[in-house]
Amino acid sequence: MNYSLSTLWHERPRYLPGIGAVAFSAVLIALQCGLLLGLFKITSIPVDHTRADVWIGSPEVLSVDLGRPIPMSQLSRVAGDPRVAVVEPYYQSFGSWIKPNGGSELCILIGCSLEDDSLGSITELTPELRAALTEPLSVVVDRAERKNLGVNIGDYAEINKQRVRIVGETSAGLKSLAGAYVFCSRPTAAQVLRGVMPKDHITYLLLKCHNPADAEVVAAEMNQEYKDSHDMTVMSSSQFSTRSRMHWLIKTKAGIALGYTALLGLLVGAVVTSQTLYAATVASAKEFAILLAMGIPRWRITSMVLVQSFWVGLFGVLLAYPCIHALAWLGTLVGVFIPLPWELLAMSGGITLVMALFSGLIALRSVRTIEPMSLLR
Amino acid sequence: MSVPDEDVTLRGISLIRAFTDGAKSRNVIDDVSIDLHRGQVALLMGPSGSGKSTLLAIMSGLLKPDAGQVMARENGRWLDIWKMSPREREQFRLRNCGFIFQGYNLFPALTARQQLEIILRWGDGVPGKEARKRADEMLGLLGLAGKEHKKPAQLSGGEKQRVAIGRALIKRPRFCFADEPTSALDWSSGQVVIDLLQKASHEYDSTIIVVSHDHRLLEHVDVSYQLEDGRMMENAIPCPTDTWRGHQ
Repeated sequence: MNYSLSTLWHERPRYLPGIGAVAFSAVLIALQCGLLLGLFKITSIPVDHTRADVWIGSPEVLSVDLGRPIPMSQLSRVAGDPRVAVVEPYYQSFGSWIKPNGGSELCILIGCSLEDDSLGSITELTPELRAALTEPLSVVVDRAERKNLGVNIGDYAEINKQRVRIVGETSAGLKSLAGAYVFCSRPTAAQVLRGVMPKDHITYLLLKCHNPADAEVVAAEMNQEYKDSHDMTVMSSSQFSTRSRMHWLIKTKAGIALGYTALLGLLVGAVVTSQTLYAATVASAKEFAILLAMGIPRWRITSMVLVQSFWVGLFGVLLAYPCIHALAWLGTLVGVFIPLPWELLAMSGGITLVMALFSGLIALRSVRTIEPMSLLR
Repeated sequence: MSVPDEDVTLRGISLIRAFTDGAKSRNVIDDVSIDLHRGQVALLMGPSGSGKSTLLAIMSGLLKPDAGQVMARENGRWLDIWKMSPREREQFRLRNCGFIFQGYNLFPALTARQQLEIILRWGDGVPGKEARKRADEMLGLLGLAGKEHKKPAQLSGGEKQRVAIGRALIKRPRFCFADEPTSALDWSSGQVVIDLLQKASHEYDSTIIVVSHDHRLLEHVDVSYQLEDGRMMENAIPCPTDTWRGHQ
């Protein structure tokens, strides 16, 4: 075992605050980013939970929930394209939901095809729900939003002053940032949205490509082909998903808030870790002074402190990972989804490890103060 | 009884060192000259504040004198250690010097073997296996065989000081400086320590300088010096056990 590790193990209580500080920073960064990922993932649910390869929307559409009406005539434009297998109109628009008791909520109405191979129907809409939605002016909401919307299955509510009946519910926790998702058939959507959407207009055209792997190429080529008309934007579903999340991330300035919080966590971690390493080095100053007296170069001591900071960082990160997963699991118990992709875990671990090494550099000021003469005073 | 001049290995010439206390300046070392010889243990005695430790620090290259020279003989050449650059002096100490202090100053986390290994590995870049072998040999010579795995907390005061001696001698230094090496020990442990230093000076032909105020050590060293108020009172008094090995 190397000398740094031996020291760390022997003086565990001394180094624990530093290890804890690194773990705290890693947990804070991972959970903050995870929460944010989870939060903004809901903004792209209509894209992520459907089967379309390519989305066509209004020019420069910023996010899936901000699509403006486009003429239905666009459909004939792309339907004949040899790269396209299926084209499907799709409605999505904000609406004013009036509860049976009179209260109101903002909702996002989604009207799509109800066929088995529908491109716009979210995967959580079961065949039974889709069958129920064939009833005119019927809607389905998610169980997680039903209470906010003030309805039970079978109740009536109003959207844009149009009376609708709740015929079922999904149970996938489909929440949105701005308003509850309300699913219905295309005819129902057309009727409910007639006051806000021009005649013969829809919100999106959804495409299925002959080769789904070509979605991005097809989107790029169509954008090029139709660029002169300035009347639509074509994106692959993954592009549209990312664009929707990024829009809300920037729009809400949550990214900046995240940056500040993460920076604060890193600062706290760096201060505690550097103080821990500083105190540990000062405590061993006389032993180090002997080495210096005997001509051992100072850089050996410097590197020992830096290696210690690496171990403190590594143990802190290793301690953090089970804590991150445990806290994310606790989050799911209260309905908060915190995705933790490996890239996020690697990033939080990497950043905090660098922070620990940086703390080691700060603690090196203690090495500079060690003088062999102190042994003779 | 005389000592051949060619056996002088460390020489302090007209050394002066003053310390300032407020507006007052006092010579802690006041025009001291001293010759130290290879293969000898020299005892530097004197009351508290007499300047013993300061003289040790000056002679070992740790504290710069205000005036005077410290000449050290290395491979037949005389070097003025206070004319060296700090880097050269560090290298000189690495090649030639060992230190022992009253407080042991052993790393609490390291075993007796590691305390010695670290000097060889970090100082001379000796490979781990060889450093371990040499450390074990040295611990054996110091009567610590079987205690290689013990950490300082598991050793007695005398054993800890023997480990500290091993650390100072592991690289067979030309010069070994010991500041009050026995003052924290009972007399029997202190005797063992000073006898080990005697043996080492003879075996390695080292020049060993011991600072102490313990008169009982006089019988165990080759030569002694008395400092008072920064001045050398008696110069090079050969001690009862003195044999000037090979130079009679």
